[in-house]
Amino acid sequence: MDEMTLNVRTAAVRVDGLSRRFGATRALDEVDLTLERGITGLLGPNGAGKTTLLSILATVSEPDGGRVSVFGLDPRDAAQRVEIRRRLGYLPQELGYHRHFTVAAFLDYVAILKEITDRRGRAEEVARVLAAIGLERRARTRIRALSGGMRQRLGIAQALLGEPELLILDEPTAGLDPEQRLRFRELLSGLPGDPAIVLSTHQADDIAAICPQVVVLLHGQVHFTGTPAELAATAAGRVWAADERDGRAHLSWRGADNRWRHVGDDPPAGAELVAPTVEDGYLLLSHAAVSHQAGAR
Amino acid sequence: MTTSFPDAFPNAFPGSFPGAGGHVGEDLLASYVAGTAGTVVVWSVEAHLTECERCRSGLSAHVDAERLARNRSVLLARAATGEGGRLRRLLGRCGVPEHVLGLLAATPSLRRSWLLSVLGVLAIVAGQAAAVRYGWIPAGPGRLAMRLGGYPRLVVLAPFLLVGPLLVLAGVAAAFLPMFDPAYRLAVAAPFSGFTLLLVRAVCALAAALVPMVGAAFLLPGPGWLPVAMLLPSLALCAFALAAATLVNPRAAAVTAGILWAVPVLLLAITHGPLPVVQPNAQWACAAVLCVSALVLLARHDRFELGWMR
Repeated sequence: MDEMTLNVRTAAVRVDGLSRRFGATRALDEVDLTLERGITGLLGPNGAGKTTLLSILATVSEPDGGRVSVFGLDPRDAAQRVEIRRRLGYLPQELGYHRHFTVAAFLDYVAILKEITDRRGRAEEVARVLAAIGLERRARTRIRALSGGMRQRLGIAQALLGEPELLILDEPTAGLDPEQRLRFRELLSGLPGDPAIVLSTHQADDIAAICPQVVVLLHGQVHFTGTPAELAATAAGRVWAADERDGRAHLSWRGADNRWRHVGDDPPAGAELVAPTVEDGYLLLSHAAVSHQAGAR
Repeated sequence: MTTSFPDAFPNAFPGSFPGAGGHVGEDLLASYVAGTAGTVVVWSVEAHLTECERCRSGLSAHVDAERLARNRSVLLARAATGEGGRLRRLLGRCGVPEHVLGLLAATPSLRRSWLLSVLGVLAIVAGQAAAVRYGWIPAGPGRLAMRLGGYPRLVVLAPFLLVGPLLVLAGVAAAFLPMFDPAYRLAVAAPFSGFTLLLVRAVCALAAALVPMVGAAFLLPGPGWLPVAMLLPSLALCAFALAAATLVNPRAAAVTAGILWAVPVLLLAITHGPLPVVQPNAQWACAAVLCVSALVLLARHDRFELGWMR
């Protein structure tokens, strides 16, 4: 084995030509993707196919076509599918709860599903994730008495049970207040064991803050793969700040400084060029995809 | 016993420890905290600690605060998880593994509200028949009874024979239909065998519904074998629903099983009276359905491991 072979890391997730239809709607259209260990942010509007992609990666849904490989394992094979599930932590977008359970009992139940059958081992895991997510004082609280943000944290906590190697989080920051979002970012960044984390979000600032890799999914297709800086760079020279609104811009909105931020190809009168953000890059990509689709019709 | 204790261990009491001023020495405290001290030493150290504030303070220096906090969190988590209800404790005493009992907590048809509903429905459909048996209300020949085929006394069994097995089916269906398990996506994405989960929940739900149904059958008029005769149709119905769920949508499977029971029972009740649905011919048919369903279930049980089937 030469040095080059030794340096090659197995991709955590590899997706080739993945397709999935719901009736006439094409949720995923020939998606090719390679995800390494570390945090990958999946950015896209509602209906872009993020949840479908993540549920297929989590072995919950079946694709119509294409191949998926998780740590080199094929989910179509029964034994390999179980092995993937052993390494997986999954937070679905709309996680339902047994509302009569206490927080600790719910985590205990999920720990059993994750094959942690020893009672003391389960209690240790439950205590660990409760501490990680800051819900220790709520261990005895019934889920029906929790606020939306606390339930979301509970959902994140159950995904962390068993220290998974692959963490799939569908909209994990939805319902979290700003302080909780910061704690969540800190938590993900500090997870031991270099797991592969895939999280979908609408929040471009979450991506910019913690994701070394970002994938933009639009209309079931991958439109961008790279770093947040590279995504921001796609809007370089096309983001302007002005005192007045300009109708020619693709997108424009008033910022906190009370000035109009324009994303487009032509500079508005009196505007000054500003440094683009991840959100600018994403919005430009999104706009281009919508225009392309409208043109195709 | 305590009078002989100092002889067995001369340094066992306050004032007799080898440390300065009769306090517990650092080495002894360290071994006590590390758990390496012998049982007798542990007893004597603990007896001393209850009376000596200085040694208690000294002890805190030896304690690993992080480990202590972790242990406390584990204990609190374990206490918050709870031991479950009486049924869970009873099953635990019967040898059911503790983690399997944990899975049952998420089975809706084992919840008190569901079981009370089952008892309520049974009371309604069996109540009239039981009242007839014990002479609380007069037996036929009522107009309806006569019109239904000349079973003036036994016709009162019809609602029970129709609804009893359907209640058992409903309990089993609630144990495996995704619509009754709000966290079913987590169960799908988890490595625990879906088929095992299904069987554990279904068997417990089956037992929980069968026991009151068979118990109610003992109170009803009719042949003495009626309670036993209710078992096979109920089992066949549930096995059919589970087997059909490997071929079609689970909800459609449960509904189909219900219809396949209700329609023949109603037709037979109208034409021949209620008892033929539990008499030998029907029992043979149910046995055949049970066997075929069991074979289908065994052959296709891996379908329950696939997320999109659950």
